[in-house]
Amino acid sequence: MLRNTVSFLVLCVALQALGLVSPVAAQAPASTSGDWVLPRTPDGHPDLQGNWSSATLTPFQRPPDQGPFLSWEDVERIEGRAAGYLERVSQPSDPDRVAPPVGGDGSRGAAGGVGGYNGIYIDRGDGVAILDGRPMSSLITHPTDGRIPDLTPEARERRSAYRATRREFGTYDHPEVRPLGERCIVSFGTNAGPPMLPNGFYNNNYTIVQTADHLLIMAEMVHDARIIRIGDGPRLPDHVRQWMGDSWGHWEGDVLVVETTNIHTLQRFGGNGSENLKVIERFSRVNEDTVLYQFTIDDPTTYTEIWGGAVPMKALDDKLYEYACHEGNYALSNILSGARYQERVEAQSLDGAR
Amino acid sequence: MKLRMIHATLAAGAVAVLLYSVPAVAHHAFGAEFDADAPIRLEGTIVRLEWVNPHSWIHLEVTADDGSQQVWMVEGGTPNVLQRRGLRRDCLPIGTVLIVDGYQAKDHSLPRANGRDVTFADGRKFFLGSSGTGAPEDGRDVGGDLGRC
Repeated sequence: MLRNTVSFLVLCVALQALGLVSPVAAQAPASTSGDWVLPRTPDGHPDLQGNWSSATLTPFQRPPDQGPFLSWEDVERIEGRAAGYLERVSQPSDPDRVAPPVGGDGSRGAAGGVGGYNGIYIDRGDGVAILDGRPMSSLITHPTDGRIPDLTPEARERRSAYRATRREFGTYDHPEVRPLGERCIVSFGTNAGPPMLPNGFYNNNYTIVQTADHLLIMAEMVHDARIIRIGDGPRLPDHVRQWMGDSWGHWEGDVLVVETTNIHTLQRFGGNGSENLKVIERFSRVNEDTVLYQFTIDDPTTYTEIWGGAVPMKALDDKLYEYACHEGNYALSNILSGARYQERVEAQSLDGAR
Repeated sequence: MKLRMIHATLAAGAVAVLLYSVPAVAHHAFGAEFDADAPIRLEGTIVRLEWVNPHSWIHLEVTADDGSQQVWMVEGGTPNVLQRRGLRRDCLPIGTVLIVDGYQAKDHSLPRANGRDVTFADGRKFFLGSSGTGAPEDGRDVGGDLGRC
């Protein structure tokens, strides 16, 4: 614990020296610009409440050979490209169009050659993330290359063992081998966290409710309510593992610092679940429209160094829409029944060949 | 309305449709749910709209080649984004005619497909653009027309 604390402090000093952590992050301001005054709850702490969005065009990891910040010309280009995309996908289609090609439409990734749905459903955000007045090239701010550090040999071994276990089952054998988000269990990507990160697709929205001794963060997708206790008290025993972990917060000046352990290893952050994952988050109300969210990943059994980043959460001038995930989750049953159907077809084909 | 299920032979000429390809994103793996060897084109009227998460589903009644009526379910994205862009479920009233191209579910016993491109009968998308994006029109600001309310 002492080693981790010292490491974290050394890291903070080093990052500040490099200009990668803003003074705002290190010592949240009472106010920043204009006539805005930091709102406070009746107990005197900064008021973090409201609806917030972490949608951003800034990637999680930094592209190679890119510095920590973008030029404003880069920002104009990136944001213009996003606006152009939306305009493009909003254009009318040919009403006489025919079906897409047999064998797939060439789409990759999760689309798996069959595409998805109209682009107007996509809401990655329309702006680059700004940290302390400068446009970020990646949400990861440390290490200095803006990328997730290498895995430790122990983590590589653990990942190999996990994959070997998974290979004992077919990809569509039963619901338990399907991703947590697909099953409406928790999160989509790492929306719910911790760390709470944008998914790059849509619904990166949060409602924060605050009392003197609790902070509730409701992630819109998939309606995950995370409760952070503020103060000090007994932590959960090590063997009790919860979705989103066991979170405790305390105020350091005007910054709410939250430490989370006991994260369920099936959340497998970054595909590397570990019982030793500790996430430290910092919430700062830096101006009227922004809660600056910073996170640090501390897991010496998984990563070769401590790492982390920042996500400016912007005020959402809108309501969240209840993400009642299970009610309409036809997809999971479609996937499983599709696999069973294909197996029957294959079996009949083999029977016919005999 | 007509149902036109166009498979291998006709689909060869569908390269132009790629222009309307959509991002590879979803709450789940689309490639696991839909059959890349079963492309489909549907033209029909809305008989039900499930404005639900994790995905919206549009139920379309179509007329098969043999003259029978069939109801197909078409998967769209999460309704949350559309809601925020000003497209409410009552912008798509029962009886509205839609054209859909996509791929049928891998379970061919199910009349279900993904809506990789869903338009009105004249080819229009639900609406043009959204707030603050620089797109030509803002979906919140216009009213009265189908899909733009």
